[in-house]
Amino acid sequence: MPSELENAMESLIKVFHRYASKEGRTGTLNRRELRELMENELSNFLKSQKDPAAVDKIMKDLDTNGDGQVDFEEFVSLVVGLSIACEQCYQMHMKKKSLGPL
Amino acid sequence: MESAIKTVVTTFLSSTRGKENLDGKSFKKLVERQLGGIMEDTNSSSAIKEMQRGLDENSDGKISFQEYLTLIGYVANSLSQSKSGSNADAS
Repeated sequence: MPSELENAMESLIKVFHRYASKEGRTGTLNRRELRELMENELSNFLKSQKDPAAVDKIMKDLDTNGDGQVDFEEFVSLVVGLSIACEQCYQMHMKKKSLGPL
Repeated sequence: MESAIKTVVTTFLSSTRGKENLDGKSFKKLVERQLGGIMEDTNSSSAIKEMQRGLDENSDGKISFQEYLTLIGYVANSLSQSKSGSNADAS
């Protein structure tokens, strides 16, 4: 039986390919696909998907080879970035907890 | 997708046993328990040691969260490639 972590990776891959196959090149996300992914899958983590300039900036940051598309390798950077943010948030939460009510 | 990211983070945090990084023993446990299904040689201590050395960019003998994410990214990439290999043939 796959572990929790294996299931998590599997679902990240599935999510990417579900959006990447919508239009244009199938193995990559174009700007619209990236925005849709952020809107539908990351609505709690990110608030910037409503802002077109922010989507452009994220797209530019992720697109390291500059082809105007986000491939899976570039998408992994987004996952890593979100994980780091999520970890910091979680650590802060734990610290607060261990200090007890202030 | 958000729950998948949470799992990636909590898997690391629950494996460090309160410390900031994974030491050799906890890294081995994590790989054995969580990645046995998608990686080869997870039952070989020497293979895990070698992988740990490969990931340990700052060579402190431990695996930090960043270094752990390198592994996750690497595994996810190769998993995705092996999956999309068949799709690419069809298109």
